[in-house]
Amino acid sequence: MSGSIPNSLEELPVSEIRWIGKGVERLEDPSLVTGRTEFIDNVVLPGMLHCAILRSPYAHARIVSIDSSAAEEMEGVYAVITGSDAARLTNPATTAPEGWGGYCLAHEKTRFVGEPVVAVAATNRYLAEDALELIIVEYEELPVVANAQAALAADAALLFEEHGSNVMLQRKFTWGEVDEAFDQADLVVSDDYRWNRLGANPMETFGCVVDWNPADDMLTCRGSFQSQSHMGLARSLVLGLPSNQVRMISHPHGGSFGGKGGFRGVDICALLSKAASGRPVKWMEDRLEYLLAGAGQSWDREYRLQLALKKDGTVTGLRVKLLDDMGGTAEAFGAVSAAKPLAAFTGCYAIQAAEYDLTLVATNKIPQSPYRGMGPPPHNWVLEQTMDKAARELGLDPAEIRRRNYIPADAFPYTIASGNEYDSGNYEAALDELLNMADYERLCAERDSAQAEGRLLGLGLANTIEPGVFDWNAYAIVGLESTGVPEGITVAIDVMGRITARLGFSLEGQGQYTLVAQVLADYFAVTPADVSIVYQDSLSAPPHFGPGGSRLGVAITGAALGAARLLERKLARVAAVLLQCGPDDVELMDGFLRVRAMPEARMHFAEVAGAMLARSDLLPEDSDPQPQATYVWTAPGRTPADEQGRAKSYLTAANACHLVKVEVDRDTGTVDILGYWLVDDCGTRLNPVTVEGQTMGGIAQGVGAALLEEYVYDESAQPLTSSFMDYLLPSVYEVPRVEKKALTTPSPFTPLGAKGCGEGAMHTTPAAIMCAINDALSPLGLSAREVPASPRRLWKLLHENAD
Amino acid sequence: MDEDKPARVAVTVTVNGRRLSAELEPRTTLADFLRVDLGLTGTHLGCEHGVCGACTVLLDGRAVRSCIMLAVQAAGHEVTTIEALANEGELHPLQQAFVDKHGLQCGFCTPGFIMAAAELLERDPDPTEQALLETLGGQVCRCTGYEAIIESVRDAAEKLRQQGVGPLELLAAALEKNAAPGGGE
Amino acid sequence: MKPPAFEYAAPTSVAEAVALLDERGFDAKVLAGGQSLMALLNMRLARPELLVDIARVPGLDSIEISDGCLVVGAMVRQRSLEFFPGLADSHPLLLAGLRHVAHPQNRNQGTVCGSLAHADPAAELPALAVAAGAEFVIEGPDGKRSESAEDFFITYLTTTLEPAELLVEARFPLLREGSGWSVQEVTRRHGDFALAGAVVTMRIADARVADPRVVAFGVGAVPLRCTAAEQALAGAEPGPAAWKEAGALVAEAVEDPLDDVHASAAQRRSVAGVMASRAMEEAAARA
Ligand SMILES: Cc1cc2nc3c(=O)[nH]c(=O)nc-3n(C[C@H](O)[C@H](O)[C@H](O)COP(=O)(O)OP(=O)(O)OC[C@H]3O[C@@H](n4cnc5c(N)ncnc54)[C@H](O)[C@@H]3O)c2cc1C
Ligand code: FES
Ligand code: FES
Repeated sequence: MSGSIPNSLEELPVSEIRWIGKGVERLEDPSLVTGRTEFIDNVVLPGMLHCAILRSPYAHARIVSIDSSAAEEMEGVYAVITGSDAARLTNPATTAPEGWGGYCLAHEKTRFVGEPVVAVAATNRYLAEDALELIIVEYEELPVVANAQAALAADAALLFEEHGSNVMLQRKFTWGEVDEAFDQADLVVSDDYRWNRLGANPMETFGCVVDWNPADDMLTCRGSFQSQSHMGLARSLVLGLPSNQVRMISHPHGGSFGGKGGFRGVDICALLSKAASGRPVKWMEDRLEYLLAGAGQSWDREYRLQLALKKDGTVTGLRVKLLDDMGGTAEAFGAVSAAKPLAAFTGCYAIQAAEYDLTLVATNKIPQSPYRGMGPPPHNWVLEQTMDKAARELGLDPAEIRRRNYIPADAFPYTIASGNEYDSGNYEAALDELLNMADYERLCAERDSAQAEGRLLGLGLANTIEPGVFDWNAYAIVGLESTGVPEGITVAIDVMGRITARLGFSLEGQGQYTLVAQVLADYFAVTPADVSIVYQDSLSAPPHFGPGGSRLGVAITGAALGAARLLERKLARVAAVLLQCGPDDVELMDGFLRVRAMPEARMHFAEVAGAMLARSDLLPEDSDPQPQATYVWTAPGRTPADEQGRAKSYLTAANACHLVKVEVDRDTGTVDILGYWLVDDCGTRLNPVTVEGQTMGGIAQGVGAALLEEYVYDESAQPLTSSFMDYLLPSVYEVPRVEKKALTTPSPFTPLGAKGCGEGAMHTTPAAIMCAINDALSPLGLSAREVPASPRRLWKLLHENAD
Repeated sequence: MDEDKPARVAVTVTVNGRRLSAELEPRTTLADFLRVDLGLTGTHLGCEHGVCGACTVLLDGRAVRSCIMLAVQAAGHEVTTIEALANEGELHPLQQAFVDKHGLQCGFCTPGFIMAAAELLERDPDPTEQALLETLGGQVCRCTGYEAIIESVRDAAEKLRQQGVGPLELLAAALEKNAAPGGGE
Repeated sequence: MKPPAFEYAAPTSVAEAVALLDERGFDAKVLAGGQSLMALLNMRLARPELLVDIARVPGLDSIEISDGCLVVGAMVRQRSLEFFPGLADSHPLLLAGLRHVAHPQNRNQGTVCGSLAHADPAAELPALAVAAGAEFVIEGPDGKRSESAEDFFITYLTTTLEPAELLVEARFPLLREGSGWSVQEVTRRHGDFALAGAVVTMRIADARVADPRVVAFGVGAVPLRCTAAEQALAGAEPGPAAWKEAGALVAEAVEDPLDDVHASAAQRRSVAGVMASRAMEEAAARA
C-alpha cells in the first residue's frame, strides 16, 4: 500500500519544501489562546440535563438495597437509574478480557471505592448533587482484596466469583535459550522493584453529552473521546445498538495521555437520556471523581528482573517477572499495558534470550487505564536500573555497559527476542552525542568529589526505545479483540480552488491538524493557512482510529500523502483532457498540472478542480466530477502474533538517551534535579516544535512519576490521595530545564521517514532519575527500588533504623 | 436548607468592562456564573479546589481562582476574563507570545496562565526569574513541561516593554473602545 | 463538586456579623477569602446553613503599624500584607513566611486572619504568629477579648474562637532591633503545606545567643513552641554545635506527629529538628 505514497521529501511535487520539517505556527492556537475552543464542558444543548453519580464508599460490598424515592420526587430531577437498570438494558464492558468487565453501574456488588452505584439527571449539576444526598443505599461489606499479593492468597475473597480466582491472566513467554543463558552466565544480577499506581490527569477531566433519541433509536454521544470510532463500537456492543446507530462526536480535549476514559460515564448518560425521554444528558467528571475512580490510574506493579552476563558486560539473558494489580475489573484496557513491553522488551540491547512471566490480578482498587507509554515506562526503569547494578558489580561505567550491548547501527531492521522489528537507529551515536554535550567526564569528576565530601550527588544515564505506530496485533496476547487501527483522510478542493481535509479525530494538543496542513501545503504548493481541516464524526469520517500508541503523526502523514496523490491523479486525468494530451503525460509540479514534455503548458490545480465541478460542458461524460480523494493508511508489513506472542507490531522504534544529575538531601529525603541532558532520535521531524513539545511534556510527567505522583490506598483499599493537594502534579519548580539535541535516522518503513514520538520522554525520564538517585545512594550501599522515590521512602531508606 | 427554595441574591458586577446584574443562588461559584450564566467559557475548570489554576481570572486586576469564589463575592468588583484580551481579532501580546513561543499544547490551562501572567506583568514589566516562577508556580500545565510557557511570558514582557504599555492598560483601552456604543447595561 | 445550598449574608459592621453568627450558632460560618472554606464547600465537607461574608465590613482591611506592632485586620489579604510598603524592613520574617503560603493567586484572596482562624497545623501563618508573639483581638457577643497566639490554637483546625466570635485583628510585634530570623520548611512541591518546618528568631549579644524563639510546625496538632530548645540556645555560643543540640531538642519536643502519605511520623519529628537547626543557623547569620 505504501507504494502509492511518497516515501521521501524528494518525491513531493514541489521544487522546494517550505513547511514540512519546520516549526510551523499551529493552526489551532489562536482559538485556544482566546478561550474559544469548544471543549466539551462548553456544550449546551436545548433541554440538556446534568448527571451526578453516587459512588460506593466501600471497596467491596454487596448492595442490599437502594432507596432513591426521595431523589426521584425532588423538583428538577428527571431520571434516576441504578445497577439493575444497567443489568437489564446493557452488557458488561467489552473492553476487558472476556468475563472481566463490569456494568456501568454496580450491579449486586461494588468492586472498588468510587464505583458508580446510582446516577441522577437534573436540571443543573448543583441540583443533581443535592439529589444524591437523598438516596439511601444499604451495603453489606465483603472481605477486601487490598493488593496483588492478597489477591493471590488461597483464601482471598473473589472479585468475580464465577472465575474461581482473582487471576485475570497468567502466561509465561520464552524467547530463545533463556535457561542456557543463565546457566552459562559469569554473573547473574537480580533485583525486585515496585512501581506504584499513577496516572494521566489531563487538566480537563472527561466529559460527555449524550442523547438517545426515542424516535429513531439513534444514540448521539458528544465528548472528549480519544478514539471515537472505537468508543462508538464499544457503545454499540454494550448498549445493544447497531453500530450505525451510534454517532460519536468528539470535541477537542484538554489533554488526554491515554487517561480520557469515560466508558461508564457515556453509558450512564445514555441510560439517563433514555429514562428522561431522550433529553440530552451531560456528565462532566469532576476532579474528585477523576482521582477517585476516573480513567487515571495505571501500572501497579511488582517486578523481579534478572540479567545473565558475561564477564565483559555482555548481557546474554533477561528474565522479567511481573505481577500487576489491575483493580476491580479490567474494563479500561489496563491489560494492554502489560502486553506492550513486548514491542521493545530488550530495550536498546541485543539480548536474544528473554523470558516474560506475567500475572495480572484483580483487586478492590480502581480498574487500571492506559497512560502515556502504555506499560513500557516501568519496564524500562527496571531494565535500566538493573543494567546499572550489573555495571557496578563489574566495575564498568554505566555508559560503557550500555555501549557493549547496543544493537549495532548496521543490524537494522532488527528483530528483537520478543518478536517486534526495530526499523532503524544508531544508539551509540546518540550516546556519544549525549556524553559529549553534557561533558560526561567533567560531571563524573564532579560527582566523585562531591561524594568524597559526603554529599549524595548522583548521575543517571538511561536509554530506551519508544515503540511507535502501534497495531492491534501487539495486544493479542492479553485477549482483546481487534478493531484495527486505520487512519483515513479525505482531501477535497472546492470550486474556488480551496483545499479542505476531512478526518475523524479531534485535537488533544499535539498539533495534528497543523501537521496535515503542512503536508498538504507542501504537496499542492500553498500555505498551511490555506488548508482547512474539518473534523467529522464517527459516522461521517473515513475509517479512522485517532491518537494512541504514538501513531497518529505517522498515520496522518501517510493518509494525507496518499489522498493527495490519488487526488493528483484525478486532476491529471482532467487536465489531460483540457491540455489535450494523454493522462500519463501530465504531472503536478508547484501547484500546476503541466505537460511533462512541455512544462509551459500548464493549469493551476484550482483551475482544474474548478473545471471538474463547474464545467461539465468541457469534460467527457464519463468523468468523475469530484475533485476529492480519500486514502486510508494502515501500517505496512504487520504480522499476526505466534504462540509466544511474537509479532511485528509497532512499526517504528525511536530511541532516546537521557542523563540526569541529582542531589539527595540526606536529612529530609528530598531530591533536587540539578541538570538534565538528552539526545533523541525519532527519525524525520515533521514539525520539530511539536516534537520538542512532546519531549518536554514527557519529561514533566516523568519527573512526576519518579518523584511525586502516586495513588495511595490503605489496607482496606480506601484511597488516601483524593485531591490535588495529595496527588501531586509537577509544577514549574519541579521540572528541570533541559539541554537537548536531536539525531535523525529516518525510518525506512514510514512516509517521509518519521517515527512515532508522542509518548517520548515518559519512557526514559523515570528510569534516568531513578538511576541518578541510586548512583547518589551507592556510596552508602543503599538502593531505591520503589517509584516514586518520595521523601517518605528515601528518608526511610536513609534512616532505616529510626522508624 | 429550609423547606422553601434557597433565596436568590442580586449581584451586580462588572465583567470585561460591562456592568451586569443577575439573580443567583448564593452558592453559585464565580466560575459557573461566568461559564454558565454569561457564556464566557474560556475560563476553564480543572480541579474546583483551588490548586490547578485553570479557572484563574482577574478580580480588580488581581489573579484569583474563580472556582473557589462565589459570584456574590465579586459583586461590586471588576472581573476580567480571557475573552477580554483579544481586540477585534488581534491577539493580545500575551496571547501572541504563547502562540509564537509554543507555550501551549492542548491549551486547556492557557487562559489561566495568561491571566496570571497579565497580573504579574502589569505590576512588574521586567520580572526576575524568581518572580516568574512564583506566578507560574501557581498554575498547572500537564502538557508542555513549562519551559515554553516561561519563554512565552518572557517574550510577552519584552514586547510589552517595547510598546511601553502594561498588559492591563492595553486591555482597558480596548475595553473602552468595545464598550463605547451602547456599553454598560 | 458544587457547594450545597446555603444562605448568604454580607453584614456591614462587626456587630452585625457577630449578631448573625450568634443567632445561628454552629450553623453559621464566617467567609473571608474562601481559600480553605470554598474548597471544603465544593467537596461538600462543610455544610453551613448561613455564610457570613465579612468582606463588606468597612475597615477590616486595614494594615498599620502602631504601638510597635504590625496590626493586620480580618480582611487583609495575604498578598496585600506582602505588598504593604516597607514590610521588608518592618517585618521581614512575616514577609518571608507569607511567600511560603500557597501561590500568589491564592494569596490574592486568602486572608491572614482566615489562615489563623482555620488553624491548619501545617500552615505557616499560625507558626509565624506564635514565633512573633502575636496577640489576637477577638470580638463576640460579649464584646472584645484579646488572646496570645500561643493560647489561641487548641488542636487540628480548632482554636478558642466560639462560633459567634470573629477574629478582628492580629497584632504582630515588630522584631527587636538586631534580631535575626528564619523560616525553613520542607514541602513536596513549592507552595504546598509544610511536611515539617520551623521558625526561629534570635539576637546575638556579646557573641552569645539572646532572646531565642523557636517554633516548629507541620508536626503536631498546633504550632509547637520549643522552650527546651530556647533554653539551650539562650546564652549559647552561636555555631553548628549549638544549632545541632537545640535542633535535637526540637525533635524531642515533638509529640505524636502526623503520619500520612507524604511523611512518616518519625520523619516529621526528625525533619522538624533539622529545619530548626537550619533556621537557627540562618537566623544567627542575619542577627
Ligand atoms: C492551592 C492552595 C494551597 C494552599 N497552600 C497553603 C500553604 O502552603 N500554606 C498555608 O498556610 N495555607 C495554604 N492554603 C490555605 C490558604 O492560606 C487559605 O487562604 C487560608 O487557610 C484561609 O484564609 P481565607 O481568608 O481564605 O479563609 P476562609 O477560607 O474564608 O476561611 C477559613 C476558615 O476560617 C474561618 N474564618 C476566616 N476568617 C475568620 C475570622 N476573621 N474570624 C473567625 N473565623 C474566620 C472560616 O469560617 C473558615 O472556617 C492553600 C490554599 C489553597 C487553595
Ligand atoms: S479549577 Fe480553579 S484552581 Fe483548578
Ligand atoms: S497545554 Fe495542556 S494543560 Fe497546559
